[in-house]
This record gives sequence, C-alpha cells and structure tokens, in this order.
Amino acid sequence: MNGDPTRGPIQDALTDCLGRHRGRRAVVGSEALSYDELGGRIHAAAGWLRGVWLEGGAGGRAPRHVGFCLGNRPEYVILYFAVLYAGDLPLLLDANFNTGEIESIRSDCGLDALVIEPAKAARLEAPGKGDQVPFADDVVLLPLSRPGAPPFEPRPATQVCRFTSGTTGRPKCLEFSGHAVVSAARNWVLGTGMTGEDRTLCLAALSNGLAFNTSLLSSFLAGGELHFLKGAPLTRPVARRIAESGITRLVAFPTLYRNFVAPGGPDRSAMAGLKHAISAGAPLWPDVREEFRARYGLDISDYYGIAETGPCTFEREADHHSGLGRPLPGAEIRIAPGPEDPDGPEETGEVLVRTASMASGYLNHPGLFEQRLDADGFYHSGDRGRLVDGRLHLVGRTQDHINVAGRKIDPTEIVAVVSALDGVADAVAFPDEDLNREALVHLVVVAASPELTRAAVAAACRSRLASYKVPGRISFVAEIPRTGIGKPRIAVLREQLNASAGA
Amino acid sequence: MNDDDRTAMKKRVQRLVYMAAGGRISEADLGRYDTDLRQIGLDSLGYLNLLEGLERTFGVAIDLDHEEDHSFLHTIDNIVRYLVAQGGEAV
Repeated sequence: MNGDPTRGPIQDALTDCLGRHRGRRAVVGSEALSYDELGGRIHAAAGWLRGVWLEGGAGGRAPRHVGFCLGNRPEYVILYFAVLYAGDLPLLLDANFNTGEIESIRSDCGLDALVIEPAKAARLEAPGKGDQVPFADDVVLLPLSRPGAPPFEPRPATQVCRFTSGTTGRPKCLEFSGHAVVSAARNWVLGTGMTGEDRTLCLAALSNGLAFNTSLLSSFLAGGELHFLKGAPLTRPVARRIAESGITRLVAFPTLYRNFVAPGGPDRSAMAGLKHAISAGAPLWPDVREEFRARYGLDISDYYGIAETGPCTFEREADHHSGLGRPLPGAEIRIAPGPEDPDGPEETGEVLVRTASMASGYLNHPGLFEQRLDADGFYHSGDRGRLVDGRLHLVGRTQDHINVAGRKIDPTEIVAVVSALDGVADAVAFPDEDLNREALVHLVVVAASPELTRAAVAAACRSRLASYKVPGRISFVAEIPRTGIGKPRIAVLREQLNASAGA
Repeated sequence: MNDDDRTAMKKRVQRLVYMAAGGRISEADLGRYDTDLRQIGLDSLGYLNLLEGLERTFGVAIDLDHEEDHSFLHTIDNIVRYLVAQGGEAV
C-alpha cells in the first residue's frame, strides 16, 4: 500500500466511484444516501474513528483491527469503508458468531474493537471490554483491550479479512488484498452485465462471500443503488420493496425463493421489474427454480463462488437451464479427475479454480491455504463437477463438510464438543435434511449413561456452538458402525436409522 | 373469541411451528403452549418460515421493525395473544 495506510486499491476504487456517480443514489435503507452523501458520511466516520482512537492520523502506527459483528444496514457500509480510509483493517465476522468464536478470533487475529449492536455488546462476555461508543441508532463501537500481541500478523497487502467456519470453534480467517477485493467486484460487474441502472436488494449477510462480492463494492463500481431491508426477509415486505423501489437484482438464498413459490406467495405483478434473481450459498431445489420461472417469468440465476476464491461462474443466458454458468472474467476452472471416483461420469473430478480475487491465505492457519493450491496456483475446491460446453456442473463434494444455509460446517467440530460431554461414549455428525428439505446437521450419539438425554445434548450444543452449527436432529444408537480403521460408516448408519424410524 | 376458538388457534399455531421447524422439534417438545420456542430449537430459519406461515394462515402483517419487543413470538401462547390482538383469523 505504498507506505500510506489510508490509501489502497479499495479506497482508490471507491473514491473514483464517488466522484463519477455524484448526484446518483448509492445506498437505500431507512433513508437514501447519494454518492456525495455516502462519501461525506464515510469521511466523517473515518474522522470519528480517529477521534475514538485519540489520534490525529494513521501515520506511524499499526492498523487497528476492527471486527464487524452486525446485520446489513447502511451504517455497515459507511463504517466498513471508514475503517479502510482511517488506515485500519476490517474483519467481517458472522453476526451469529457466539462469544467463544469471537474470543478465538480475538486471541488469534487481535481485535481492537467490534462494530456491533448495543444490546449484543452488553451481552458479550469479553475480558477487557471497554465502554460502548455510540455511532448511530443501534450501532456502537465496542473497544477491546489486547492482552498481548496476537500470534499471527496479517500480510502487509491485506485490506479485508473474512471468515469460514473452522474446526473446534476456531473460525478460519481469510486474508484478502485490496487488489483481490476490487478484482472480484469489477469482474462481477463485467461478467453479469451490472450497470448504473441496477438497484440491488441484498438480503444475504455482508460478511458472506455472496453478498460481499456481488453487492458491497460492485454496486458502487457500476454506479447503481444498494438496498437493504430492515426486519425479517419475509416475502411480503421483500416483494413490496421490489415493486416500490424498482429493484432489478435480488441477492438472496434458497429458502426465500422457496417461500416465494409456496401457496399464498406474492403475485407476478410485484416482481415485474426484477431482472436478476440470484441464489447462492446452498443448492437451489430444481422444483423451486421451475415454479419461480412459471410464476414470475424469471430464471433464478445460480452462480458458483468459494469463500477462498471469490465468485467463479455466472449464467448470463436467461434461457439456459442447466449448470452454474461459465467462468466470470478473471476466473479459470479446471477439472482434476481423481482416483477417488473411477466410476463417476466421464470428465468428472475435483473442481480447481484460479481467480484474480483469491485470498492470500488464512491468517490463523499459516500454510493451510497454500497446501490447497496446485503448482499452477489453482485452488482445490473440494467440490466435484465437470465442464459441459464451458459451463460448470457440480455433482457433489469430495469433502464431508456440511453446508447449512450457505455456511460450511466441519462435522469434527460438533463431534469434538459432544464427545467432551459426560455420558457420551461415541458420536458422529453428518449432513441430512429436515421435512422442508433444508440441510441440517444430524448428530448421532452413543450414550454411556442412561442419564444422558437428548435435551441435555441439545442444550450443551446450543451453549457451545454458534446457532447455525447446532444439530437439527439428534439420534441415539447403541453403536456407531465403523470400518476397520475406525471411520464411521455413514451410509450403514443412515439405513439403520431409517429402518428404526419406519419400524 | 371463546375458549374453544382460542384452543383451536393454538393447535393451528402449534402445527405451523412444527412445519416451520421442518420436523426438527418433536411434537412432545411442542406439547406445552408456554414453552419458549427458542429453547427447544426454533432457529432463525425456522422463525422465518413460521412468520411466513402466520402471515399466510391468519392474514396478518407482522412487522418486526415496528415491534420493539419480540417476546410476542417466544411462545405459542404469546403468538396467539398477538394474533387475537391483531384481529387475525384463519384464512
């Protein structure tokens, strides 16, 4: 960043947009801000931050680490850029992270403050918690003391950190250079045909790669409007917002689309202006896609993205109905046929990806990211798929992560928590579905003591795991079938559970 | 609204909670109308489904933004009290 911590690719790109799109509307929440007003608010907030740190400027000091633990709203955007303009480092936490996960990030990566809601700040049990500094209605900066130097230092070019769920409650911290962040946004604009006429309603959390890359900076690069909805993303207020604000792009998740097509959902007229409905995070059910098309006359475009690489593909042709689209500009895909699937369809193998928006590494797991790159710098995604006429088709995963509402969960973390409980002899966790076909974590426990109840296991999980990691189903069995080397035989276990459920 | 109507409404809400949770909450756990639904595992996705179900079944508009206190959603008893106050009727 050429020595000046207040300058960097993200700030330069945003400064350019603020000048070019002057007078247009930039962010719409409970109020609307033009590009001029957004710029004014960001610079005022950067000055406010320096005041909080009791400093005149950022020169000569290390960047402060500011964790964002907040739902989507205009203040998120303002403070995110303000932190960058102040020469500090934003770390975008999942707003659902629990105290344990926040504490592990704090000890691994160092956190000087959190941007958080005041009620949540009050509930947070953190040693060395300072007094809340109000920023806006329902948003405060919570200063945190650093007990010592964190064990890991970000790379000099790192401008943003985001997280993926890690093992044993330690989220993995991904470092992104400013160049990677700007490339992801630029290539999304180019590859999806985003323009200044686009009004994006973003309902996925900004800490998530989907929202971060498709909305936060890309909307501004294109000169478009970024809209947020207060309150729960129910179909009625979402449809009303789409109709009233002339929303052209909806960035959402499969459950919302399923609710749209359920009986009693909004009618076609409300959605007339919508040009792109984007779904990601978890696979969309094929029947929901078809019903959405039948009801609203619009295809839900899938895209493929990975936390570590950013957006990879997008389907631009409205009448093309299979696969996840072609690689976006700056993204290259290769398929590596693996020895693990000799019986798979032809040309099927692990999806390898190289993009201009790759992470630089995991801050708190040195070397782990690098291990997943091949000699040409392609990232081993863990997904299995094939390319058909240049379009990516996924067929499954080579790893046993569990994808719940777009968040990848490592089952070993859940098993570690449960195995530590008194009265648990053995445990295994694997992906399953509920009656609504939503992915869930199915935890199977062997009790060593008759006093171990389902409720006690559930309560222990709720107190020790982030809410999205809590198993959606808990079953008890007498024994978990395992292979000779002790690996759980999930398929056999499923059959046993199905047989006993049907009995 | 008489007691029978109110009981019928509680049963409908109980069914909506069961559906919203995708069967993750057992019917036994839903047996009491004063149980805190968050304590028995209704998560944010489950609440999203429940709110959709309540709006469509009872013809009410639930605006969480305008309600300071969300405890009206914490138990089946509270939900029914809220629905009655909103003039909700099964549609």
